[in-house]
Amino acid sequence: MASALSKPQNSSGGILPFLIKYNTIFIFVLLVIFSAFISDVFFTSVNLSNLLKQVSGIGIISIGMLIVILTGGIDLSVGSLVALLAVAFALLVNIFALPLAILITIMIGFGLGSVSGYLVAYQKMAPFIATLALMTVARGLGFIYSKGSPVTFETYGGLHISNFANNSFLGIPNIAIVFLIIVLLTMVMLRYNVFGRIIIAIGSNEEASRLSGIKVNKYKFLVYAISGALAAIAAIVVAGRTNLGSPNMGMAWELDAIAAVVIGGASLNGGKGSAINTLMGVLILGLISNILNLLNVPSYPQQVVKGGIIIFAVLLQRFENK
Amino acid sequence: MQNANKDYRLEMTGISKSFGIVSVLEKVDLKVKPGEIHALLGENGAGKSTLMKILSGVHQKDAGRVLLNGKEINPKNTHDGQVLGINVVYQELSLVNDLSVAENIYLHKLGASQFWMNWKKINADAQALINSLGFEIDVTAKVSHLSIVQKQIVEIAKALSEDPKVLVLDEPTTVFDPTDTQKLFDNLFKLKESGISIIYISHHLEEIFKIADTVTVLRDGKISGSQPINEIDTDGVIKLMIGRELKDLYPPRTVNVGATPIFEVKNLTAKDTLVKDVSFSVKGGEVLGIAGLGGSGRTETAKLIFGADQKKSGQLFLKGKEIKTNSPVDAVGYEIGLVSENRKEEGLFLPLSIQENISVTNFKAIAGKFGFVNKEKENNNIQNLIEKLNIKTPSAISPVKNLSGGNQQKVALAKWLSIDSKVILIDEPTRGVDVGAKVEIYHLINELAKNGVGVIVISSDMPEIMGIADRILVMKEGSIYGELSKAEFSEENILRYAIGKPLKN
Repeated sequence: MASALSKPQNSSGGILPFLIKYNTIFIFVLLVIFSAFISDVFFTSVNLSNLLKQVSGIGIISIGMLIVILTGGIDLSVGSLVALLAVAFALLVNIFALPLAILITIMIGFGLGSVSGYLVAYQKMAPFIATLALMTVARGLGFIYSKGSPVTFETYGGLHISNFANNSFLGIPNIAIVFLIIVLLTMVMLRYNVFGRIIIAIGSNEEASRLSGIKVNKYKFLVYAISGALAAIAAIVVAGRTNLGSPNMGMAWELDAIAAVVIGGASLNGGKGSAINTLMGVLILGLISNILNLLNVPSYPQQVVKGGIIIFAVLLQRFENK
Repeated sequence: MQNANKDYRLEMTGISKSFGIVSVLEKVDLKVKPGEIHALLGENGAGKSTLMKILSGVHQKDAGRVLLNGKEINPKNTHDGQVLGINVVYQELSLVNDLSVAENIYLHKLGASQFWMNWKKINADAQALINSLGFEIDVTAKVSHLSIVQKQIVEIAKALSEDPKVLVLDEPTTVFDPTDTQKLFDNLFKLKESGISIIYISHHLEEIFKIADTVTVLRDGKISGSQPINEIDTDGVIKLMIGRELKDLYPPRTVNVGATPIFEVKNLTAKDTLVKDVSFSVKGGEVLGIAGLGGSGRTETAKLIFGADQKKSGQLFLKGKEIKTNSPVDAVGYEIGLVSENRKEEGLFLPLSIQENISVTNFKAIAGKFGFVNKEKENNNIQNLIEKLNIKTPSAISPVKNLSGGNQQKVALAKWLSIDSKVILIDEPTRGVDVGAKVEIYHLINELAKNGVGVIVISSDMPEIMGIADRILVMKEGSIYGELSKAEFSEENILRYAIGKPLKN
């Protein structure tokens, strides 16, 4: 009998298995409820809008981190890339028209990501090492091109990035919309597009992918390049909000991005993870900072709480995998 | 009865072992005297390795007794075995590549003795040991820099460094040339004189007759004979190794072999493996078997054809036209499929669904513009294959890891059916598959052939390969040693070619 041979996963009912399966969303909802009780300011549109604006930059690079992690890799360079690309964007926007500056910045991001991609895919360098090197290089270049201080840019005419970055559409900040569109596209790509299906296959079993006739190197190269391009979009968003590009931006963002992806249930071995859960991971991390700020908790204890949440989330996933 | 015979160093009596429901050993006896070289023979899967693993402590026996020097022993792990004086040199090398030769030889003692490493003593002792074996290896060299022959010698030295009472050698000469083999034999004779009991596993019957005192043959997990070497000859040994009747597993089929070869291999030689000068052809509708002993280069040949390993020279022809398969991407482009012998590591994406596993070779057909998958096409294709192959699963989105071995193997096959492969290489089609699924897989192979596909089947299971193939090539040491037509099929003939002997008239 078919059913006797192999039981479907999580077939047993009950509330606990359900909560374990959707643990990321569960933690998120719990945090929202908790926050609403603990602070009057939390559910104000100003606060929620701020929260969304704050997480969008890290959120965008977290999506890049997700697709790299899905292949079984890691990208430590994204935080530094945000700094370098924000500086680059600030310099470019002082020279070129806005659309051209945006395009060039994204291309530079794609190019810098390609460097990691080339080293990992074609030179067989360990992703941790290749992107660690690029992380240092990018941070250094950021300081060189900015001469060590933030590069500001001026507002000319009607078309200006800070207008876009600081405004909202239907109450949702524009930059959060950019983030959410990226999440949505990634979701669709991972489920319905060959590219997404293949990177999951590679992360699940690289050798089997190779023996199935998949150009493994090409895809591994591309995920780092895309991660670089997403770092560029994050840089433009962040620079747009503040009207400057600073070499100190994006400090340790790569670690927050990894944390968000992991809280979202992705496996660092590759092959497992989803865009919607990464979005939850990003929001959870943002929420924790937000509520602790509202409660006037200083930043050092905040870090302790963040670390605790990461451990809790990953332990919950251990149950799920059983 | 505690009156153990003092004549024997090692007495294994009534050893039984099963893995799950599969019985691997049934009431096996093995008795070895001090200073004896005892040959242990049997086909692949006869249970030799399992018996040795029980002796050394890797596996635990289900029943039976093991006496060493008359005292019962129960090693729980290899360390226990080593302490008791039982050392095994396995077929698969188990050296640490990044350490030196000397460190590898004394690895088991590094943690035990002192806090500081006495490099001088370790290196001197190791060098003395290697020299005493008559080989030249610098013991300060890293193991990764050694040739495979040298590595094998280091393995043997490592086993000897522990003062073994019983030394087990599993196919030690596969990589040796005749000179090295002779040196090894000289060493074994020396060890024998010093009173060590040696259990020697080999497929090379001529070696056995050169060195062994006694021969014990296992067949299907049972002892089929144990005799002093001077009371038996090659034919006698082969008879003990085979002599099994073909069961009614293999569905008959009407062969409708095409006139011209669909696929030809000419003088194929590998860059990094032992495959050398392999030539053969397959006709559409033909099932070509490749037999040979483990390590004879069958899997490597398949991988070479498929582009998974690098070629040094040789040509491939598909329907008369020369093709180049420098990578699996090329091979798949020419509609050549490979079902790997190792489905869990190389064939399947275990955590992913059946659907995701099968579609991975087939995106060209099911994806439209910008690489978006046409879900309807995909679902239809998967549903067809699940029905056609009778894959037993609650749904197409169940993870493959939840399926039984037989159904997993069907998924691995389905990957290549979904792209209508012209040539399919199937390496060990039914390893770890239950009998019911076996028959289904044989039917499937027949049907592929009926549809004009050139099917190449590699198998260590001799009844299987004789049951399904139209023609069998037998490989030895990386080359094709001989070809058997259907009329010549017999386990004896396969085995004769596999060990490099001519057929009997």
